[in-house]
Amino acid sequence: MDRRNFLKTSTVGGAAAALSSCGHPEAPLVRFLPDEELVPGVATWKPSVCPGCRAGCGVLVRVMEGDAEVIRNGQHGVVRMGVAKKLEGNPEHPISQGRLCPRGQAAIQLTYHPDRLGHPLERVGARGSGEYKPLDWDAAISTLVERLRALDDRRAHATLAALTRPLRGVRRELIARFLQAFGAGPPSVFELFSDDVLRRANERSFGRRQLPTFDLSRARYVISFGADFLGTWNSPVAQSAAYGEMRQGRPGIRGTFVQVEPRMSQTGANADRWVPVRPGTEGVLALGLAHVMLQRGLASASSGAAVGALIDGWDAGLPAYAPEAVERETGVAARRIARLASELAADRPAVAIIGGAPLAHTNGFFNAIAVNALNAVLDSVGRPGGMRFMPEARITLPEVRSETSTASSAAREQSFSLLRDRMRGVTGPGVEVLLLYDANPVFAAPRAWRIREALAQVPFIVSFGSFLDDTSTFADLILPDHSFLESWMDDAPESGSDRAVVSVAAPAMRPLHDTRATADVLLEIARQLGGRVSTALPWHSYEDALRAAVQSVDAGASADAKTSADVWTLVQQQGGWWTETLESSSSEMKRAAGASIRRATPRFDGDETEYPFHFLPYPSQAFLDGSLAHLPWMQELPDVLSTAMWGTWVEINPRTAERLGVSQGDLVEVASSQGRLEAPALVSPGIAPDVVAMPVGQGHRTFTRYASGRGANPVALLAPLVEPESGTLAWAATRVRVARKGRGRLTLFAGGLRERPGGVTR
Amino acid sequence: MPHRWGMVVDLDRCTGCEACVVACRAENNVPTVGEAEAARGRAIHWIRVERYVDGEFPDVRVKFLPVFCQHCDAAPCEPVCPTYASYHTADGLNAQVYNRCIGTRYCANACPYTVRFFNFFNPVWEKPLHLQLNPDVSVREVGVMEKCTFCVQRIKAAEIAAKAEDRPLRDGEVVPACAQACPSRALVFGDLNDPDSEASRLAGSHRATHLLGELGTQPKVFYLQREGGHDRQDREGDQ
Repeated sequence: MDRRNFLKTSTVGGAAAALSSCGHPEAPLVRFLPDEELVPGVATWKPSVCPGCRAGCGVLVRVMEGDAEVIRNGQHGVVRMGVAKKLEGNPEHPISQGRLCPRGQAAIQLTYHPDRLGHPLERVGARGSGEYKPLDWDAAISTLVERLRALDDRRAHATLAALTRPLRGVRRELIARFLQAFGAGPPSVFELFSDDVLRRANERSFGRRQLPTFDLSRARYVISFGADFLGTWNSPVAQSAAYGEMRQGRPGIRGTFVQVEPRMSQTGANADRWVPVRPGTEGVLALGLAHVMLQRGLASASSGAAVGALIDGWDAGLPAYAPEAVERETGVAARRIARLASELAADRPAVAIIGGAPLAHTNGFFNAIAVNALNAVLDSVGRPGGMRFMPEARITLPEVRSETSTASSAAREQSFSLLRDRMRGVTGPGVEVLLLYDANPVFAAPRAWRIREALAQVPFIVSFGSFLDDTSTFADLILPDHSFLESWMDDAPESGSDRAVVSVAAPAMRPLHDTRATADVLLEIARQLGGRVSTALPWHSYEDALRAAVQSVDAGASADAKTSADVWTLVQQQGGWWTETLESSSSEMKRAAGASIRRATPRFDGDETEYPFHFLPYPSQAFLDGSLAHLPWMQELPDVLSTAMWGTWVEINPRTAERLGVSQGDLVEVASSQGRLEAPALVSPGIAPDVVAMPVGQGHRTFTRYASGRGANPVALLAPLVEPESGTLAWAATRVRVARKGRGRLTLFAGGLRERPGGVTR
Repeated sequence: MPHRWGMVVDLDRCTGCEACVVACRAENNVPTVGEAEAARGRAIHWIRVERYVDGEFPDVRVKFLPVFCQHCDAAPCEPVCPTYASYHTADGLNAQVYNRCIGTRYCANACPYTVRFFNFFNPVWEKPLHLQLNPDVSVREVGVMEKCTFCVQRIKAAEIAAKAEDRPLRDGEVVPACAQACPSRALVFGDLNDPDSEASRLAGSHRATHLLGELGTQPKVFYLQREGGHDRQDREGDQ
């Protein structure tokens, strides 16, 4: 018996599995890779979409044969099938341009994680205990359908709610439409490091509620206010690609880069000038630079036009922002402000970026409007080497009309704070059934928001996530999603290219477990509910819905595809849809409007004498907001500035550490008005003496074998201050005190040259 | 003429993002060791990003430096190996033959770049993480040294493909995993014997240096220095 026959007889064969799944709602989704395509040692490449962050990078998946232990119809077996081996950037994709970030490289572990949930689960233990028993899909879906029918009988439709991580495109629309058709409010989104402040500021300044795209490759001068745009912020792969070109892509021209922030980020470490500034005063510094340019006639107030005019005192040349006054407030020397301003004015095109902590103060909106005004003074808005807005992709689900109503692209999201109040019964309608998709507010929201207590009030919680985490352990029913490699995927990036882009991909491999794509589960539930819900969602599967949405694209916009069927084929081949060139019409900006904006000073939680330090949590290079802490490759990735692995640390300035009697690796206690935690100290010169910083990502109570109970969670210290314009958490507005507790342990990567190289690091 | 493979690292493009670090782990079946073993200095990274921090707050300068096997022409690791496990290939690679290696670790001691790693135990991939393993790269067992190979499996695959089509290799046809992932295109791989290759062209830059070149190891990795003429002026101006 040869190897092939042996495998065929000893396993659940691929053909048998294919046949028995006929009539199964999932059948049209799963693309079986025919045996004859599987040549041992020969790879095929399939497009997919990275789910790691909001950038929406297109990836290529290297698929080769492998013998996978799978579950088919409740049966364990081994199937020889195409399995994903490696992810690369998709060279055709306008965002990733063939490149990937470290988190994108590790995303393949989302699929092969040993603690991934492989089948539906029903809670048996107490909530949060993590005790579940397996359930088959029919029973699991009818459990949920019965719950929803009960709401329907009691005309309590509005008590259904959904809480998701940020989603875009057709998946988001399907959830929104499901809720709308059922009679519930729009879905809520929870995201710790939200950029909503900037979106709202951009709406005010430019008429676009969207994150900007920066044309760094043609810029000669870049000033960034707190944005970790080469590491974790916005669209890091696209931004890093453009940054490389800015530095060394043009013969004889090397762009200058200035970073303004009180704690040196990975991005800041690359700056030619690193300008530490008092937390929350970034907007004042931006206007100080604008003031100098206006006073010296380096720019005229009219070039800022309506965008600058939003700032109080603009027409008078911003008299309140003279360098000496700005120095007092920001701590940046007046001479340095003057020189930065003259460089900015001379080295055009110049562009200013704001992101991260400056937006996460109570005056984040003011800071963003101020940086927008600086861009207006620099005349960088909509110009080469400046900032612009990506044209919006026009792929949406077609409208479905019924006799009673029209199901169309549903309304915006419901604010997370409103959902919280509803869950706690503070406002009506209450929440009786909560659909939870990959949002983890128990981990990433301040304690004062009382998420646990709020969840405890919800009678029935359904989670669609692939892992048991701090929040999904509260679920009564778990209907696990496919991994992104096993499912259809779509995303609509909002930044990172000057073309309109939609990322779409077919499954790259068959599912390993007995999971189902969440979009398909929703459509199945809609079918079983019948009535207006099934009328509003007439598609048989996520694939059908995606095809309908893609085929609604104006075929003329894409040069290669003439008919809608061609568009669908093209989209599957190249991993998405994008326009050939910049559509100037759709990237147009409206004039700024509204009342002028006064200077807002940041408020901080905690008395300065009791809590002498600003506390700066920041998205970690490996885990972002903690959602990737379960990946072992990310746990063992040495943080580039500290080389720390598998843990958390507290960054302290050497002078401060000396004063507190703290040395590297000592265990310190950090306490705020909200709570306290302990973590080892990392003594670093790249942080202001009155600031301590911690990476976010560790300190999960529950998040697989690799992240559970590891390190400390800085979010636990955060006060519930919000930025008033957007209602998002002001996560940089808490003050803390720090004290040495004893010896601690910091795991650093032992690598390193034994001697300091002379030539390379002059 | 045989190939002479080399890499150019543009430190002015490198942002320290570490995409190369994870890409290498994924491509070359480099195991993770867990916190306890990592704390004992047993973590394995074929490529790492070193950082050099100068100055005191607020005048702090950081330089990132991706370090991996320099594939030296006069490699200190080669003559010390009693079993010829560490040897030089015809196309200039500093190769490691795993099934000759008996784990004396002389090579690791001799390497001034500390890019050689010892397997203190058999690697573990908790199922189904093993499905990700690259079938083109052998998994190393306990007692064996390992290090960057310049993704020799990709070099061989490209050579076989070119030979099948009866043509020479094109510049840019071989891309190691680190260089392929690099978002800012800081890593450029190529044939240093081909004067027209991008790597050769960049290696001729006035910014090109070797890492610890004074040791006479004759590395085939070139580091293009960072530029930044304003730094000193900026510092002086603030005083």
